[in-house]
Amino acid sequence: MVWGNSREGAVEFRFFEIYRSPEYLSLLAEGAGLSAALAIGGGIMGLLLATLLASFRYSKIPVLRQISACYTEFIRNTPLIVQLFIVAFGLPLLLGYQWPFWGHALLALTLNFSAYFSEILRAGLNAVPHGQIEAASALGLKKTVIFRKIIFPQAVAMMYPSLNSQFIFLFLTTGIIAEVGVRDLMYAGLYIDSRTFRSFEV
Amino acid sequence: MRDAFISLLGKPYGIVLYQLLEATQFTIYLSLIAFVGGGILALLITLVKTSPSKIGKQIATGYIWTFQSVPLLLMLFLLGLGVPRLFGIDMDPWLAAGIALVLYASAYLSDVWRGAVEAVPAGQWEGGRSLGFSFLQIIRLIILPQAFRLSLAPTVGFMVQIIKGTSLAYIIGFHDLMNVGKRWANAPVQGTEPYIIFPIMALIYFCLCFPLSHWSRVLERRLGSVSKRKLPTPT
Repeated sequence: MVWGNSREGAVEFRFFEIYRSPEYLSLLAEGAGLSAALAIGGGIMGLLLATLLASFRYSKIPVLRQISACYTEFIRNTPLIVQLFIVAFGLPLLLGYQWPFWGHALLALTLNFSAYFSEILRAGLNAVPHGQIEAASALGLKKTVIFRKIIFPQAVAMMYPSLNSQFIFLFLTTGIIAEVGVRDLMYAGLYIDSRTFRSFEV
Repeated sequence: MRDAFISLLGKPYGIVLYQLLEATQFTIYLSLIAFVGGGILALLITLVKTSPSKIGKQIATGYIWTFQSVPLLLMLFLLGLGVPRLFGIDMDPWLAAGIALVLYASAYLSDVWRGAVEAVPAGQWEGGRSLGFSFLQIIRLIILPQAFRLSLAPTVGFMVQIIKGTSLAYIIGFHDLMNVGKRWANAPVQGTEPYIIFPIMALIYFCLCFPLSHWSRVLERRLGSVSKRKLPTPT
């Protein structure tokens, strides 16, 4: 019997065997946990930044409006992986700081998420019919009250589905962060793959 | 061409910029393959999904679900590294990246187009049926012309996603803008530090994507679009 043959046979008969190895399974689980943590952390911080960006879009100062628009367009029209490389490899070298890998990943995800979320926030706020705002001001309500009681509740209801699906889509893309050395789900998969040569099951 | 760049910009920058732009063409080719292949596949899936057949509908739904929930990166790994090892064959990066992106594009495009087809009022279907048209006739003569208008803006918008998606193909050794740029960023050459190369690459991607996303917005204003809530929001 030749070596090549026995290896091929092993692949056929021991399909999915790696899932019985607790060491590798826990590695996958750990990676999944870190993926989720980074995505959720990036999502929350991204939402905060997005609120700021969206409020800039309604600002009375033209420069703020333009900055916000340019930033959003730039992030939305470049791949996440290039942004990640700029944040993880470019900026630290330029400014001379060093963070743990997950810090770079979190920063990149936050910047990326914020641009998409701010567009959704803006669309949601724009979707509230103007007549309602006019009616509210005709009733003598203050601007802050109009925003809090009339615009915001309706906008949130309208934004919720698209925010949700956007977040799922972004979660799918977070696998990219393995590229800068974070031990996430993708990294765990690749690690096991490199040890066992069982790409397909992973 | 190459010499013109070097004489214009000096030694490291001319070569780097020339190589980056040269590699950009492969990014564009791969995007076109993904868009055309994905479009054809998506058209088939949309037809099956909107057809009266119940099993067909389920199969199409399953297909869309599967390929929308598998990250593109994982698809690339699976096709570029997993499949060759499982079957002991050699897979060309072009083939692996092409298939992965076609599957990815078809799942999202067919969902967009399904939304557009469903946005055509039901009365149009009924009218066609009462005139004795077959399913394919209704689709071809009545539904598609109307759905086409509605789907144009989101389809162009999705092309931006495809271009951005091709940036991941470098992980399986596909020779594109990302691949060349990353190699230059790692090279110990003065003037090609990561903080110079990566912003240049971002700028090239921006120049590819921005006209498309702008065009998509113009189309949306002019032709209208399917209600946003019905569509998945590919970033």
